Amino acid sequence: MRPVRIILFSSVVLGILLLALFAGPRMFNPFNLTTMDRDILYAIRMPRVVVAMLMGMALGASGAILQGVLRNPLADPYILGISSGASLCAALGLLSGFYFFGSMSVPLTAFVGAALVSVLVGAFGWKRGGLWPERLLLAGIGLNFLFSAVLMLLMSVSSDEGLRRAVLWMFGDLSMADWSLIPSAAVFIVVGMGLVLSRSKALNAMILGDEFAHSLGFAVQRERLVLFAAMALMTSASVSLGGTIGFIGLLMPHIVRFLLGADSRLLVPASAVAGGAFLCFADLVGRSILPPMELPSGTVTAVFGAPYFLYLLRRKDVLSI
Amino acid sequence: MSSVSKSDGPILEMANISFNYPGSGPIVADLSCSVHEREIIGLLGANGSGKSTILKIAAGMLRPSQGEVILWNKPLKGYRNRDRAKLLCYFPQQLDVHVPFTVREIVGMGLYPYEIPPAMTVDDAMDMVGVGDKADAFVTNLSGGERRRVFLAMTLIQGAGILLLDEPLANLDIKYQIEFLKLLRRLKDARGLSVVMALHDINLALQFEKVMLIKSGEVHGIGAPETVLTGPTIRDAFDVDIEVRKAEHGAYITHEKW
Repeated sequence: MRPVRIILFSSVVLGILLLALFAGPRMFNPFNLTTMDRDILYAIRMPRVVVAMLMGMALGASGAILQGVLRNPLADPYILGISSGASLCAALGLLSGFYFFGSMSVPLTAFVGAALVSVLVGAFGWKRGGLWPERLLLAGIGLNFLFSAVLMLLMSVSSDEGLRRAVLWMFGDLSMADWSLIPSAAVFIVVGMGLVLSRSKALNAMILGDEFAHSLGFAVQRERLVLFAAMALMTSASVSLGGTIGFIGLLMPHIVRFLLGADSRLLVPASAVAGGAFLCFADLVGRSILPPMELPSGTVTAVFGAPYFLYLLRRKDVLSI
Repeated sequence: MSSVSKSDGPILEMANISFNYPGSGPIVADLSCSVHEREIIGLLGANGSGKSTILKIAAGMLRPSQGEVILWNKPLKGYRNRDRAKLLCYFPQQLDVHVPFTVREIVGMGLYPYEIPPAMTVDDAMDMVGVGDKADAFVTNLSGGERRRVFLAMTLIQGAGILLLDEPLANLDIKYQIEFLKLLRRLKDARGLSVVMALHDINLALQFEKVMLIKSGEVHGIGAPETVLTGPTIRDAFDVDIEVRKAEHGAYITHEKW
């Protein structure tokens, strides 16, 4: 049964990728490409699809990590304010002219933001020796408001060119995607993915609870730190590529668990692939639905993700974990 | 069992253990006890008496503020996490898994401490606790009793000779409680397991070979239940009016009419 599902899943992903590449307001025939078509595909469409794929992969995997480590099906880097913290930090870096690390500067500042907010959300969510789902969620929502407000404030007092990027970061947009953004973010994603894949057994054990994880021979605090670092690396890479896009980290692990099972060794990479395909699809919808206008991809993902989030909230067991 | 050789002495010892959280009074105070091979020990005490804390200290989850835990004649803190997991296993009270793992996946996690899997297979372990027919079922769909057996199978394949169980009978009806205890006894006989189990039911504890009564983090009595669980000791430890009566099939308790 599972091999059939894996083949189906892979076929759908491949189909979406091909559609994202060749379909849209301007359609391309892959079997009859002119030189101009090739130029447009290489310079505009392909980097956009690659950026969408990378961002979605990072967010899908980050969601799978957070839901596992926090044992909370509502966890997602967007909902917990980690993405907006990364955005704010990256925007501050841009505005203050921080280019010390060249093309790595933006993902690095975003990483600092993601890591700081992870600690902050955890501190707010911690009570009586455990993480409380309601507290985590409220902390995330509160921090999201705060960071958006600060970003707005920065926008209103500054006329910097870098701010154009900062504005886009708030809503998540892929229209500025180009090849130059990809290498530094890809490094973060590869390192983050490598870390989580090497710790996927620990992630499985932590889903059963810290006590079982300890009993199975894992150093729980160290594993949690490594997994959070992997999540922060990938989330910050995603933010540096195209800003804050919500709900991919929430939705993808749920869909993959339903289709392929809960084992993190498959769940994390499959959530990544599903996240990539979903963001490609969202971007395709965003640029095709009202041409020549483009809807930000974050809006499209929210149309799917927000109702599902509300549905999850209604489930009795979700807030009692 | 693990690769450690058979021992006549204690395989797990807690020597002069004290524990307190920062800024609070002692939860465990100068506690000493030991566990031998093939022993099933019932750990009793009122709520808040320190039973769970004692088990967590024995499992290495909490560091004692004083004293030492010795596992197979070596300090517990000297073991690598993986090596400890092959000898000692902790089973928490709450088995709340909200992620749809299959029974086979959960049981298979017992192999995580190993690079080379031990002889027992996942199928063997599932059959041993009677969940072989549910291998592909989601653990989220199982009853409380079945779920406990699944986790016990995971523990078995982990190969640890010592099981520390924190109220494993909680939320189980009497049928599953007795089934679970019978299963533990079978495993003790067949595989030489040693078990320390926190529990609340004094009537069940009266059938154990050895019990330890805890009051305010101190050992109030340790030994055979007929000597440790008497009317006066129980009244003192639980602050309730209880009598222990003897009958043909064993002892039982009666309490004041509520």
